[in-house]
Amino acid sequence: MMMPNTEITKDMFAPADIDHSVSEKIGRRSVSVWKDALRRFVQNKGALISMILLTIIIVAALVSPHFSKYGIDDQDLNRVNLPPKITALSWIPLFSGKEGGVDVYKQNGIKQDFWFGTDSLGRDLWTRTWSGTQISLFIALIAALVDLFIGVVYGGISGYFGTTVDNILQRIVEVIMGIPNLVWIILLILVMKPGLFAITVAILATNWVTMSRIVRGEMMKLKNQEFVLASRTLGASNGRIIFRHLIPNSLGMIIVNTMFSVPNAIFFEAFLSFIGLGIRQPQASLGSLINTGYQQLQIHPYQTLYPGLIISLLLICFNIMGDGLRDAFDPKLRR
Amino acid sequence: MVRYILKRVGYMLVTFYVVITLTFLSMKLLPGTPFKTANRLTPQQLNQLRHYYGLDQPIPVQYVHYLWNFIHGDLGGSFQYGMQPVTQFLLQRFPVSLELGVEAMIAGTILGILLGIVAGIYRARFLDWGTMTFSVIGISIPSFIFAGILQYAFAVNVQLFPVAGWSGPMSHVLPATSLAIGVLALVARFMRTEMVEVLNQDYIVTAQAKGLTTSAVVFRHAIRNALIPIITVIGPLTAAVVTGSLVVENIFAIPGIGSQFVDSIVTNDYPMIMGTTEVYAGMFIITIFIVDILYGVIDPRIRVSGGQTS
Amino acid sequence: MDNLLEIKDLNVRFNLFGAKVQAVRGVSLHLKKGETLAIVGESGSGKSVTSKAIMGLIPNPPGEITSGEILFEGHDLVHYSNKQMQKIRGKEISMIFQDPMTALNPTMKVGKQIMEGLIKHQKMSRQDAKKRAIELLRLVGIPKPEVRVNEYPHQFSGGMRQRVVIAIALACNPKILIADEPTTALDVTIQAQILDLMRELQKKTGTAIILITHDLGVVANLAQRVGVMYGGKLVETGTLEEIFYRPKHPYTWGLLSSMPKLHAKTDKLLAIPGSPPDLSDPPKGCPFAPRCPYAMKVCTEQMPEYTYLSDTQRTACWLLDKRAPKVEPPETIGVGGE
Repeated sequence: MMMPNTEITKDMFAPADIDHSVSEKIGRRSVSVWKDALRRFVQNKGALISMILLTIIIVAALVSPHFSKYGIDDQDLNRVNLPPKITALSWIPLFSGKEGGVDVYKQNGIKQDFWFGTDSLGRDLWTRTWSGTQISLFIALIAALVDLFIGVVYGGISGYFGTTVDNILQRIVEVIMGIPNLVWIILLILVMKPGLFAITVAILATNWVTMSRIVRGEMMKLKNQEFVLASRTLGASNGRIIFRHLIPNSLGMIIVNTMFSVPNAIFFEAFLSFIGLGIRQPQASLGSLINTGYQQLQIHPYQTLYPGLIISLLLICFNIMGDGLRDAFDPKLRR
Repeated sequence: MVRYILKRVGYMLVTFYVVITLTFLSMKLLPGTPFKTANRLTPQQLNQLRHYYGLDQPIPVQYVHYLWNFIHGDLGGSFQYGMQPVTQFLLQRFPVSLELGVEAMIAGTILGILLGIVAGIYRARFLDWGTMTFSVIGISIPSFIFAGILQYAFAVNVQLFPVAGWSGPMSHVLPATSLAIGVLALVARFMRTEMVEVLNQDYIVTAQAKGLTTSAVVFRHAIRNALIPIITVIGPLTAAVVTGSLVVENIFAIPGIGSQFVDSIVTNDYPMIMGTTEVYAGMFIITIFIVDILYGVIDPRIRVSGGQTS
Repeated sequence: MDNLLEIKDLNVRFNLFGAKVQAVRGVSLHLKKGETLAIVGESGSGKSVTSKAIMGLIPNPPGEITSGEILFEGHDLVHYSNKQMQKIRGKEISMIFQDPMTALNPTMKVGKQIMEGLIKHQKMSRQDAKKRAIELLRLVGIPKPEVRVNEYPHQFSGGMRQRVVIAIALACNPKILIADEPTTALDVTIQAQILDLMRELQKKTGTAIILITHDLGVVANLAQRVGVMYGGKLVETGTLEEIFYRPKHPYTWGLLSSMPKLHAKTDKLLAIPGSPPDLSDPPKGCPFAPRCPYAMKVCTEQMPEYTYLSDTQRTACWLLDKRAPKVEPPETIGVGGE
């Protein structure tokens, strides 16, 4: 009537064949939570770069010590405090083997290259730095395992069974949480002999608490949700509910929290080694290397440079990856 | 509210009691006698010492003694300083550490809050991105690395500040900065999350719908609500600053309890280690207590519900 | 023209992660002094966005008004600066929100939240503003207002909070009150109280109300005129009587049919099958065509123009074209509670 549009012809007013089920269809392809998280994680450039850097550091830590013929404690007073030298890269000042314009290698008549230099006892810093990195990575592994096994199980039991069990378990956690980590760890390490074993025990004793709190909270939240109640109504056993419903649904949270507790543990090891409560000579940890390096900081800054660089990279990468995972699993938190 | 405070005080005392009992037990568990390091002592002197410290008595008696002494402020004598009272050392050195810690906390928190607010308002823009990148780096890198970098850059290379020591305001700058960076990063990140959260709330739209200016909305409605949860990070921050101060004091040779503590670890000065541990634990526990109470006072929701239950 | 507010061909778009969502597409509406206009439609139909556009509260980015005019007393609000809009908001046009539990600042006393607008727009002193706040609380039916003015939102129940929100909105005697689903989050008994209150207040203050809702019961209760929105478009508008008794658009029929009735012959609730269109890729024809039981080929091809059925009623539907087959509305559209 009011549309002088030639396109509209009489026959267009015939009833249309419209498949009404089409409008019921959900436009987008459904994506599983995991695929969705993976997609978001891969889109996050920072997290991806961090993951690649971490992989490089891990491979380097495992392989590098074999590239040097010097062991972790091969001392030689003929080659003390040599600056880093890589002949192929000697045009870069950092790898020229010169310090204050003097070629220390020539001065001492040293033929081989020390890629990260040597310390005041003539030990190869390349070997020592990467061995130290190995220790940090070992600590990372321990922290993750402690989180996953002790933290998840403790929190899971506490949250799933609730009532008396929960009450007792939570009082214990409260006492542990009320005392700073530092105090626990120092007491534990003093009672034992300082060293890798003592640090491992200290992490075993303290690192799982945060995780257990988080898992407990998740369990409490999930166990009263409809899908769990439905499963229970249908006669599912406790084990089935825990392993088929509760754990898969809190897995994202567990992974994210593990990613955050790992750098924490790495930091604590380095910190303890730095103040002399951790790895002891002649073994090397990034923390103890930095501490030794600081005594020479004003004269030979390169001795601190590499351990400091590697631990910083390690911690930054773990944190960025943790952020990336958190955003991937819970995009609401990104904003 | 009063009952709530009393309950918290009770918890606090129990936790502290557990700490001092644990330190006592670990003293007893230490390999050998506490005088092991003092090898040059004759057996007679050793016995005298053991008797003096009541170490020849059964452990429960020693425990009561230990508690009694503790209540009277006697933490024993320092091995490395010829048995001079630990308490005296701690009292002398604690103010220095406190000063450093408070300086770092205040500077870090204020700057962190400001950065967090700015990042939260300009979310997803360059300023936000920059702040958050800085924040991840600040959170990740340990304070002993920052201390080293700052010392090398601004005291060794460019001689702007003293390399070490604790005299005059100039000597405070580098150590306080190295401690403050971590605080700043943590606070900025937290504050940004809170700001973003709050700015998405319905009551912000209500405030805008009233016709308030943008600055009134941000200052009167957003920031206040975003600031409240910041109180909860004070606890972890204190722990971080205490941990950091151990190494930072050591690096800058600051005469606080942190560097003292590291010295006593190196020299196996057990009474000093235990005494310092107790000071740290006490500080931490009191901080948590204050945070709890403060949170109740500042957030009207908790304030009133706390009042109703008591 | 005695139109207080006139919206002309309003288009609002949200730019989200690559997708451009056309939330409002060519909506034209008007509002007279003192009347109540209801905008109904299901979620995602663009009714809330329209109301936010009037307030100038569309978050930008990601949202933007791409074209159209919003004339308030002859002035185009679309081109007002934020500063100019601040003088309109709360003073000339104010808004009530859906969820009273979250619409109030939890850390600010209720009185102060009411006073803010008064101090800003009417330049009142704090004492006067407080007096007025107490008065307003009394007006919206809050008992003991001189005590409650110093309380925090969490000390109020949901219904009481909504009364506070209304008090805030009415503080400066606005000419227009936009109520975005004002009763959705409330219990049924409280809903009735709030609706009564709004009707009573409108009588007292003469404020024009734009009521955004999907609840036709609320519409029947409060509105004089109704606009029906679907897929970002205004598909039908008319007086309350026209929309309820002589609706012409199949979507309006569907809405009316889906209203539960007290004396219905069947005990089945009638639903409109299907779901609203994806507005990031709007259909080129009538947005309702895929769900419309009377859809014709032309419906999917081209958006129908409005047919003016009376001075007040216009409908955009191809069924009203001369060439279209005659279709009788279903019997199920009878008004609830007859």
